[in-house]
Amino acid sequence: MSAETHHWHRNVQVFHSKLLTAPYLFWATLAVIGLTLSLGRFFTGLWFTGMNDDYAWGVWKTFNVMTLTALGSGGLAVAFFCYVLGKKQSHSVMRAAVASSFLFYATGMLALSIDVGRPWNLYNMALPWTWNLRSSLFEVALCMTAYVVIFLLFENTTYLVDQAILESEGTWRGRLRKWVPFMKKLYPWMVGGALLLPAMHQSSLGALMVIAGHKVHPLWQTQMLPAFYLIQAVICGFAAVLFILMSASLAWRRNLDVPVLSAMGKYMAWTSLVFVVARYVDVLVRGVVGQAFQANWYAALFHVENFLVLLPALALFNARLRSIPRVLFVTSILTGAGGVLYRFTPTTLAYRAGHPSVYFPKIAELLMCLGYIGLAVILFIWAAKRFAILPATTSEWDKYVTFLKSKNPSLRINEHGAATDN
Amino acid sequence: MTVSRRDVFKSIGTGAAVAAVSATPLQASSRNPQAPSDAVGMLYDATVCIGCKACVAACTTANNLIPDTTMSGGIWQMPEDLNAQTKNIILLAKDGERSSFVKKQCMHCIDPACVSGCPFKSLKKGKYGIVEWDPYKCIGCRYCEISCPFDVPRFEWTKFNPKIVKCELCNFRLADGKEPACTEVCPVGAVKFGTRANLLAEAKQRIEANPDKYYQNRVYGEGDLGGMQVLYLSHLPFDKLGLPDVGTESRAHYGSKVHGVIYKGMAIPIAVYAVLVAAIKRRYKVMEEEARLEAEKTGRPEQL
Repeated sequence: MSAETHHWHRNVQVFHSKLLTAPYLFWATLAVIGLTLSLGRFFTGLWFTGMNDDYAWGVWKTFNVMTLTALGSGGLAVAFFCYVLGKKQSHSVMRAAVASSFLFYATGMLALSIDVGRPWNLYNMALPWTWNLRSSLFEVALCMTAYVVIFLLFENTTYLVDQAILESEGTWRGRLRKWVPFMKKLYPWMVGGALLLPAMHQSSLGALMVIAGHKVHPLWQTQMLPAFYLIQAVICGFAAVLFILMSASLAWRRNLDVPVLSAMGKYMAWTSLVFVVARYVDVLVRGVVGQAFQANWYAALFHVENFLVLLPALALFNARLRSIPRVLFVTSILTGAGGVLYRFTPTTLAYRAGHPSVYFPKIAELLMCLGYIGLAVILFIWAAKRFAILPATTSEWDKYVTFLKSKNPSLRINEHGAATDN
Repeated sequence: MTVSRRDVFKSIGTGAAVAAVSATPLQASSRNPQAPSDAVGMLYDATVCIGCKACVAACTTANNLIPDTTMSGGIWQMPEDLNAQTKNIILLAKDGERSSFVKKQCMHCIDPACVSGCPFKSLKKGKYGIVEWDPYKCIGCRYCEISCPFDVPRFEWTKFNPKIVKCELCNFRLADGKEPACTEVCPVGAVKFGTRANLLAEAKQRIEANPDKYYQNRVYGEGDLGGMQVLYLSHLPFDKLGLPDVGTESRAHYGSKVHGVIYKGMAIPIAVYAVLVAAIKRRYKVMEEEARLEAEKTGRPEQL
């Protein structure tokens, strides 16, 4: 990756690339296998999983939902820095962030609906008198659904409407354009909700394990779990957006806007530092710091989680290092790995510490877990190739308009892509 | 940041609407929960129990459960632990050379973690303070299994429409004026049924009559984890019996301490929403204007 800088000004679809490539088919196969098995689950119940009464939650909940929605928090992380803290240059990556967030969340919720033993009783969601307002899990269920169905969906209509206006004809174009001012009016209210709700349910995901009390190892069991889960969502959100943007640039040979990526690396680094410091302060204050320095796997795991996040942060504090794309790429992977590990540990690795029973997912369970990820990946690739969600330079946009006009000469747009039937 | 009063009111109005639809005023459990006035319960005295397991068999029969014979190769009822076929079990506990039997079933906590965690009120404190399960509300999420400090609720992993299986203190028998099957059948009176108040008084009398016989000279369940309607006396340390000796705070209270404050009356989330929207509006206005100028200058269409 070269460090040459190109400014990301617009979002442009990947217009010169075939959809059905080998990696796409690989992920699609995983998705088909996973979804077929998911359908089968409705005829068998859950006996084929590795779950048991001691480990009542398996990877579908603990990984697909509780862990991967952290990586799906790009929409939260980028929007907070862009719209609230005013880091405007990250606006160009908002679409990639909200599209990936939507897919991580939607597939997570699919996993959740497969995981519950009596999904036919989910109609209780529509009966407010059965809602348990004391339950963190209920808060997660309702808040996540509202976030995906109302706020994320709205944020994802931006590029759909743009695309429809660009490619539609006459009357439809006129009708759609009347929507734009309305959407703009709604926008701050929607973005506000798209920040508040994930802040609520990402912290509630951490709160889920608080009630388990002594069943979670003391290094992880803390009233700070909700705060840690939320901070980690921001960190993982940046890591995921960085990784996705850079992989996409590599795969489709698009230019990188290093200052934008570098700035996100910096925000990620600062958030990481807050996380690691808060974790060590937390074990000190609770007086369990001794457990972090015993010769066992839990102590090692505790430090591994922290250092996977801290070491990349230390590198990224250096302005020269964080302007090297390779450094940004590697640190986003390491930080993401650390975040994923932290979010997964309290639910599984540090759950029932010292208890003789074990949980390891069965093959079918893992295939379904991978299938939901595969589904998100192919939908993202499809979206990147059909809609303008990836940031690009203006020259890329001009090439795209030329391509569009060569494909459909009757399209009423000028050489800049502006409508000519105003 | 300048926020007009109108903006704030508008924000609060929308915030309230969002709150009503999507957000939840999670309430905290009380620090010192009180047992319901009609609370019944059981008193189990580990020093009396002879481990005959008559209560296990009686429970299975009364609750129409299929005896778990896996361990014995299909001959005897021999459950390893509580499971989808076993709501009550006698286990052997060891502490070095000493040993004891211990009866395990739902403790019918005064402030139960499972009830607090259950998303759709499928588990609730019913008549006499019994923790009951409602099949029409349960989505099978198994959060009760995560939250229960005693690992009581069990899930029918092998079933297509799995139920949560746990002791409901034979509430159908109580309705007929009978006592729970396990207490009725116990040949030595190791487990007794009664009102919680009477059982607690009796347990304390036993301790008084035999000082130093019982561990810590106290009744487990009086205040442990917020208090329970099933009470235990033991000569071994309670944690050896699988009764976590971890203080008097109920898990429901511990688990909702932070949320109870943050979500009280939804005031904090609504305020946060108002501030967020005000801040975003300010930024968005500038960005919108810049995008418009950019489009004018370059001739390229504005992107949303």
